[in-house]
Amino acid sequence: MSILVNKQTRLVVQGITGREGEFHTRQMIEYGTNVVAGVTPGKGGSWVAGVPVFDTVREAVEATEANTSIIYVPARFAADAILEAADAGIQVVVCITEGIPVLDMIKIRAYLDCVPTRLIGPNCPGIITPGEAKVGIMPGHIHIPGPVGVVSRSGTLTYEVVYALTERGLGQSTAIGIGGDPIVGTDFIEVLSLFEEDPHTEQVVLIGEIGGSDEQRAADFIARHMSKPVTAFIAGQTAPPGKRMGHAGAIIEGGEGTAAEKIAAFEAVGVRVARHPGEIAELAAQFA
Amino acid sequence: MRLFEFQAKRLLAECGVPVPPGILIRSPSEVAGLAFPAVLKAQVPVGGRGKAGGIRVVHHADEARMAVEELLGTRIRGYPVRAILAEPRVKVSRELYLALLVDPRTNRPMVIASAAGGMEIEEIARQAPEQIVRKPFDPFIGLPSHLIRSAGKALAIQDAPTFGAILEAMVGLFTSQDATLVEINPLAETPDGLVALDAKIVLDDKAAYRHTELFARLSEEQKELGRTDKTPAEVLAEERRITYILLEGEIGLITDGAGTGMLTLDLIQEAGGRPANFCEMGGLANAEIMAQAMEVVLANPRVKALLISLIGGLTRMDEMAEGIVRYLERQPVTVPLIVRMCGTQEEVGKATLRRVGIEPFDDLDEAVRRVVQAVEGASACRS
Repeated sequence: MSILVNKQTRLVVQGITGREGEFHTRQMIEYGTNVVAGVTPGKGGSWVAGVPVFDTVREAVEATEANTSIIYVPARFAADAILEAADAGIQVVVCITEGIPVLDMIKIRAYLDCVPTRLIGPNCPGIITPGEAKVGIMPGHIHIPGPVGVVSRSGTLTYEVVYALTERGLGQSTAIGIGGDPIVGTDFIEVLSLFEEDPHTEQVVLIGEIGGSDEQRAADFIARHMSKPVTAFIAGQTAPPGKRMGHAGAIIEGGEGTAAEKIAAFEAVGVRVARHPGEIAELAAQFA
Repeated sequence: MRLFEFQAKRLLAECGVPVPPGILIRSPSEVAGLAFPAVLKAQVPVGGRGKAGGIRVVHHADEARMAVEELLGTRIRGYPVRAILAEPRVKVSRELYLALLVDPRTNRPMVIASAAGGMEIEEIARQAPEQIVRKPFDPFIGLPSHLIRSAGKALAIQDAPTFGAILEAMVGLFTSQDATLVEINPLAETPDGLVALDAKIVLDDKAAYRHTELFARLSEEQKELGRTDKTPAEVLAEERRITYILLEGEIGLITDGAGTGMLTLDLIQEAGGRPANFCEMGGLANAEIMAQAMEVVLANPRVKALLISLIGGLTRMDEMAEGIVRYLERQPVTVPLIVRMCGTQEEVGKATLRRVGIEPFDDLDEAVRRVVQAVEGASACRS
């Protein structure tokens, strides 16, 4: 019961010998993720946490049949790491790294439109299918398996909402953080359509943020294409206008992007908007 | 990095975009060399300057001196005016809007052009969207000539070659200097041809490593001119590279993510409390950054209680607890301290906190309730 990652996931960790890479490799293995390989240029032949390290993603794929990758390399090498994974035929690439220049991401997005690889992120917490695979940095123990698909731009907000759902006994099919940057590999709409097609996802919780207009487009998509119930939540309802709160995307600019506008867009198409993470769980429980 | 107008115009001029010959004035005595009538424009890093009285037209040196004196003493939207861009007044027959930015719909660079420049472009976007031309283009191919021609035609441009050269210069600047916004508003049609009368450029901080010289020069100028009267806490936060925004209330707040931080702001206000600040350490926070964030937030004398709310993925709770303990070893916290801890390595972190007598909360709502009560209790005691 999942999208994108599951028990068939064979994970290669790009940047496995770095501090974060090694730590989270151990965490993912502990969670039960099938980590089959690591990649760090120049470190091929060594081992990290019982995982063989290769110089290139292609070598890792040839030796281990890895089908999914997670990227922990520093920002200035991360764009190249995404391309390397795509060129090696990896199906799903999760980029945790924060700080990839916008112009690089424009090119990456345009390139990925021409290849079958799906990118999640950058600057994201990753993907977890509770009980099957954790491909990310999220705290695994707050998740439980179940019927609710969760999608969010913010890492920490995903955790807040998952925590509230789990407290009410509402498990998650898959929880995805798509990333907070202006340009990400996969947007709300693409994740919503994956959840719509997934037979095990019965309902979806969408967590938005102030800034931009992705949530308005998501509302439009839900109205036209979603048969499953969606509950939305927007953080930053009391954030002072014009103040930058840490995310590149979370800036209130002009007429587009306030919490009130986003809430109105969802309510106009019949999506219920929670005012509070606890309320999300209450609303979602009514659909369960 | 959002550039000052004079910086943006300098970059544009370097690429061949016509701008008025301006002088940067720092004191009233510098008006001597001006040609009149002149326009004096306060250099502040915020929009809405004209409405706030930051732009003056002057006709002779005495008037200019007085206006400069006045402007240098004012603040515009909180920013003290430390420099004025003086330009000869240009005879304008038409004001156009021209910008390059990243289109969130197509994820491509996009030209935005409108024959109705000068005014609030957002207002036009709302009321007459058909008056705005939007042309996204392929990042690998660049801006094709036919898009330049059709944008020029939509704006009824007389001097098409100059318009094309300006647009190509903007694209060059956008791609070679990693800009996320290059905006000319207004682009003025004058008897002497097209002139960029005002400009706004935002450079991508994430790409600063590719443009070290340019960034160093621009930030040096910004440091000098964009200086605001910061509180000690704000200065400290800037030094420590922690996102810190001063607010009006009494509840100090430290979080480990922008999302959970904004949520916690909402919850505090819903519970009847008033946050003293927004503070987010970012995903790569370690023990030292935690201790520094406490130093920053507690440097605000208005803080009557401190809520540290952590739900870490990348941030490890063992290190966060270590940071809290490290701060407490250096100096005691004299206001109530509430910690909510959830996430990676939370059992280790909680054990560390319990050793110094802090009982962490799991639930954010509960922690928020406690901190709001703590502030109410403190106020009740005093009255």
